[in-house]
Amino acid sequence: MSDCGDSDAGWIFYKDRPDWNDIKPVPEDDGITPVVVIAHSEKFEDVYDYFRAILQKDEKSQRALELTKDAVELNSANYTVWQYRRELLKELGTDLRSELDYVESVIKISPKNYQVWHHRRVLVEWLQDPSQELDLTAEALLHDPKNYHAWQHRQWAIKSFRLYDKEIEFVDSLLSDDVRNNSAWNQRYFVHNNHTGWSDMNVQREICYTLEKIKFVKNNESAWNYLRGILLHDKRGINGNGVVTAFCEELYKNRCRSPFLLAFIIDVCEEAIKKNETNGFHNVERAKELCTALATKYDKIREKYWMYLRDRFEMYVCVNGENSQ
Amino acid sequence: MNNEESIILANRQHGKYFMRFLNVLPASLSSHDTTRVTIAYFAVSGLDVLGSISTMSLELQNRIIQWIYRLQVHPDKDTGDMSVCGFQGSSTVNIDFNSRNKLYRCGHLAMTYTGLCILLALGDDLSRVNRKAIIEGVKALQTEEGNFAATLSGCESDMRFVYCAACISYILNDWSGFNIKSATDYIIKSIGYDYGIAQCPELESHGGTTFCALATLSLTNQLDQLSEAQIEGLKRWLLLRQIDGFQGRPNKPVDTCYSFWVGASLKILNALHLSDYANNRSYVYETQDIVVGGFSKWPDTCTDPMHTYLGLAGLSLIGESGLFEIVPTLNISKRAHEHLKTLHEQWASS
Ligand SMILES: [Zn+2]
Repeated sequence: MSDCGDSDAGWIFYKDRPDWNDIKPVPEDDGITPVVVIAHSEKFEDVYDYFRAILQKDEKSQRALELTKDAVELNSANYTVWQYRRELLKELGTDLRSELDYVESVIKISPKNYQVWHHRRVLVEWLQDPSQELDLTAEALLHDPKNYHAWQHRQWAIKSFRLYDKEIEFVDSLLSDDVRNNSAWNQRYFVHNNHTGWSDMNVQREICYTLEKIKFVKNNESAWNYLRGILLHDKRGINGNGVVTAFCEELYKNRCRSPFLLAFIIDVCEEAIKKNETNGFHNVERAKELCTALATKYDKIREKYWMYLRDRFEMYVCVNGENSQ
Repeated sequence: MNNEESIILANRQHGKYFMRFLNVLPASLSSHDTTRVTIAYFAVSGLDVLGSISTMSLELQNRIIQWIYRLQVHPDKDTGDMSVCGFQGSSTVNIDFNSRNKLYRCGHLAMTYTGLCILLALGDDLSRVNRKAIIEGVKALQTEEGNFAATLSGCESDMRFVYCAACISYILNDWSGFNIKSATDYIIKSIGYDYGIAQCPELESHGGTTFCALATLSLTNQLDQLSEAQIEGLKRWLLLRQIDGFQGRPNKPVDTCYSFWVGASLKILNALHLSDYANNRSYVYETQDIVVGGFSKWPDTCTDPMHTYLGLAGLSLIGESGLFEIVPTLNISKRAHEHLKTLHEQWASS
């Protein structure tokens, strides 16, 4: 937030305003042993002295509503100010559409503030009108495509008001801007899980989509995670989809050694072992070999993890007495 | 390795850094006005991890304790209602209200949790904590979904406050305000397709919220509710967060605080030893300001108390010498936790 200093020209302290002279300001009482003391500006102290006064009095007036705006400008994270503002809006019957515009302007200044997004959500609930929420969040995501608050608000609006129709297109555009945008992949899953559903056809279509994206950028954890996510909905499991396993072996043959590819093949091996469906490609020996390759060459930072996983496969041999083909 | 050994912990500077934050802060930090208790927590717990509580004067320690207790919201004098009980984060609205609008003066779960941590780190016996009332305040904040709101006064509810509520219940050794079953359901519903855990169901997995969720499961003895696939999936998701230091989400930049959030999550799953300590350590040190103290999230950026504390806590998890051990679930020192255990024994026998 920008400096809220006393420099703004024309600012008149509440204590100097004739229309406020009926109010006795209430200074903050921090006791005789304060610590972590913030040396607030004079303006901050003035505004909050008057805020405390109207709060204590429970004054529901237009001037109180204006005051909360000044209080928000000085600290938009003060949830009490927002809560009191909502009480005032209700009591005064204020036009909530103009309040939507107002909170939008605050969101633009503080897009990572919990309180502003909460205020927005309450207003949309009161109005039962989500018509601006997709645009509002799209705008916030334009500036920061991974803004968690914006995604949370967007999912809430979509889920509450069934706004799924154009969401896949939105996700597509974000992924074509940045195929590594994990938030966008998550949103893709959200749409399918709640709206499109996991019919066989849809699962296959999503698999093709994801494989195309992986072809484009192979070392992208987000896409590989998403692939695993869709395969949760494929009855044949992670090892049974021929398109996927053939795709992986092709990449491997073409010398792709992305840790995510190797990890995926390891998972295919594990499932094949558990389901007693091992074959020449997917078996204990291959899994162990890939773990070693990751540990010693392709993903050394996780050396200990891959060796830990290798040991787990060692245990499968012991438990199942299984040999590789 | 040479450069690794040349890294030094600027212990003394960090101590001074925290002392400055306990004292007076500039107006540019006005946006932290309602959460001053959390700043005090980072400073006090940070001094604790540095082994420097004893360097604070008793006068200062007592001042802090008095200040925290002033922020406790007590039951309604007339009705006995306890739903707003807890600690406030500052005295911004620490004023007397008539019964109509008393809701504005209410506890906040994150402030209650961090306030209690401060008291424990300073060796207070919690005798002035109205335990029953605080637990009633916690109870009033659990939603139908199983998660918690932070305050009764118009607030979002999510995984962060599930964690705070669990810590408070653990510290006060009273789970009657915390429905473990419904909180566990909420946590399990918030596990993503990539096995990370989100702020709420279906949102993107996140290192911070994964910590909140796993620490809660651990504090409530519910880790066995996770399937083997979920546990192994979580281990991998968490370990994949390591680049040199840790990131909070896939394809996001590394940030010092995740050396704690992700490191502690791994520790809870007994898998921290599978990460690369040397890389983790050297990243955190890259964000250290050895001149004025403090850590920042990225190298050569502004330090802040949160990243300073979490940087130290993250280093402590991997056994950095010169730092006190951290209890990953509660995010307090082992020393403070030992003190808590003696209090629990006293409460049990009284
Ligand atoms: Zn951070």
